[in-house]
Amino acid sequence: MDKECSMYKEHVESGKRKVTLSLTVNGRHVVRDVDPNMTLLHFLRDNLKLIGTKEACGEGECGACTIIMNGKAVTSCIILAVEAEGAQITTVEGLAKDGKLSILQEEFISQDALQCGFCTPGFLMSTRALLDNNPNPTDEEIIEALSGNLCRCTGYIPILKAVKRTIERERKESGF
Amino acid sequence: MISRFTYFKPHNLNEAVQYLEKEENAFVLAGGTDLMILLRRNLINAEHILDIKALPEMDLFNFVDGAGLTIGASVVVNRVVDSEVVSAKYPALHQAAASLASFQLRNRATVVGNICNASPGADLPPALLVYDAVVNITGPQGTRQVPLNEFFTGVKRTVLQRGELVVSVQLPEPGAGDKSVYLRQARLRGHDLATVGIACRLKPDGKVAIGIGAVAPTPKRLFALEDKINERGISKETIEWAAQEIREHIHPITDVRSSAQYRLQIASVLLKRGLLSLIGKEE
Ligand SMILES: Cc1cc2nc3c(=O)[nH]c(=O)nc-3n(C[C@H](O)[C@H](O)[C@H](O)COP(=O)(O)OP(=O)(O)OC[C@H]3O[C@@H](n4cnc5c(N)ncnc54)[C@H](O)[C@@H]3O)c2cc1C
Ligand code: FES
Ligand code: FES
Repeated sequence: MDKECSMYKEHVESGKRKVTLSLTVNGRHVVRDVDPNMTLLHFLRDNLKLIGTKEACGEGECGACTIIMNGKAVTSCIILAVEAEGAQITTVEGLAKDGKLSILQEEFISQDALQCGFCTPGFLMSTRALLDNNPNPTDEEIIEALSGNLCRCTGYIPILKAVKRTIERERKESGF
Repeated sequence: MISRFTYFKPHNLNEAVQYLEKEENAFVLAGGTDLMILLRRNLINAEHILDIKALPEMDLFNFVDGAGLTIGASVVVNRVVDSEVVSAKYPALHQAAASLASFQLRNRATVVGNICNASPGADLPPALLVYDAVVNITGPQGTRQVPLNEFFTGVKRTVLQRGELVVSVQLPEPGAGDKSVYLRQARLRGHDLATVGIACRLKPDGKVAIGIGAVAPTPKRLFALEDKINERGISKETIEWAAQEIREHIHPITDVRSSAQYRLQIASVLLKRGLLSLIGKEE
């Protein structure tokens, strides 16, 4: 039990000299002093108050903490904040524009692709990274790109539908 | 995370080596998909973390006719999965890379990290072993090359000495008509290490090479079994025989993933399936 609790404890200050970190998050340039042992996930949640990105397993297994870093979907729970020096980062908060949800978010809602919603930010970010690199993926490619995201509620089928509807709508919108 | 460490990301290899030699409890960080778990669970006491991702030597990823393939220590697994030359010339490596962890993890996990972590059940070593991979190491005494086959010394142990870093892993060029395959059995795809992972290679001269993981303290080549198969000559009959004979060449243990008995059985099945596919036959 003790061990379990310490694993999920919030970030503990290391007492080591802080490192100045400068990066771009959702289009905004951010400079902060961080502890070398802080994870990127805790940096986003605790320092920048971007709490859309979730922590579930904390060990790379579940994908709840997925963000886009330099164009790639990665699990922020097992990356140090200091590793993100100079990086371009998009979190789930970066998807909506001018207060309007993105097509991807709208389709997750329309298809009931979430129930408790804890996995959703991770699924959205894995999907966004996929479609940015490959706007027309096959079913296999979608499933592969989402292989690191676990959902205990939906059974995945609505998620797949939401992704496919997003592809359709984004294609229409871009005029192809 | 309770570990309290300083973080250093040098741009120069000499600086990196000096740092590792000088500092107590210094750990190398590549993709961090193994190291961060150890840190999180407080299984290691790290005082210094050396990030190798800004070292230019580590970013090398190229194929040169005659010389073969070089994979630098910061090359991530998805780069190998996406590489056309790897799919064409080293199919077992492509397949092993594509089966490792999940898509997000492969965007961070490095090939060299997979070797250096020295897990008995890691996916890439069997495939690298059948290609006679060589590990390029640099350290306080200069550089040295160690065949991957001699690199692992035990569970989570390697020949690396204090101050030493792996710069890259190198695979000789296979001849025309070379074939290979990687097969793994796991409880869950993307979320579990292999119960058994096996790479089979059929060279243009008809000789086979077999690399296997999760049946011994280290990933290994089954040289004695290869010799026996090669003496008999590859055929459907030889393969049937080898699928039984492999039980004499591996000594798996029972652990959380599988019983020893099941590992013996699945190694036999995977070897048969792998070799048959290389000679174009079905089971
Ligand atoms: C959820 C999850 C699933 C996984 N699934 C699989 C799987 O299916 N198959 C599999 O094989 N593995 C799996 N792994 C393990 C891991 O992802 C791989 O072993 C990966 O290749 C490690 O690479 P890395 O760059 O992340 O290594 P790191 O964590 O950065 O390093 C690993 C070890 O090697 C040392 N090291 C790294 N680079 C060097 C270097 N250049 N010189 C000297 N030492 C070095 C580090 O100090 C550390 O001890 C999984 C891990 C997680 C968290
Ligand atoms: S919280 Fe990061 S993968 Fe589960
Ligand atoms: S909606 Fe609850 S885990 Fe996915």
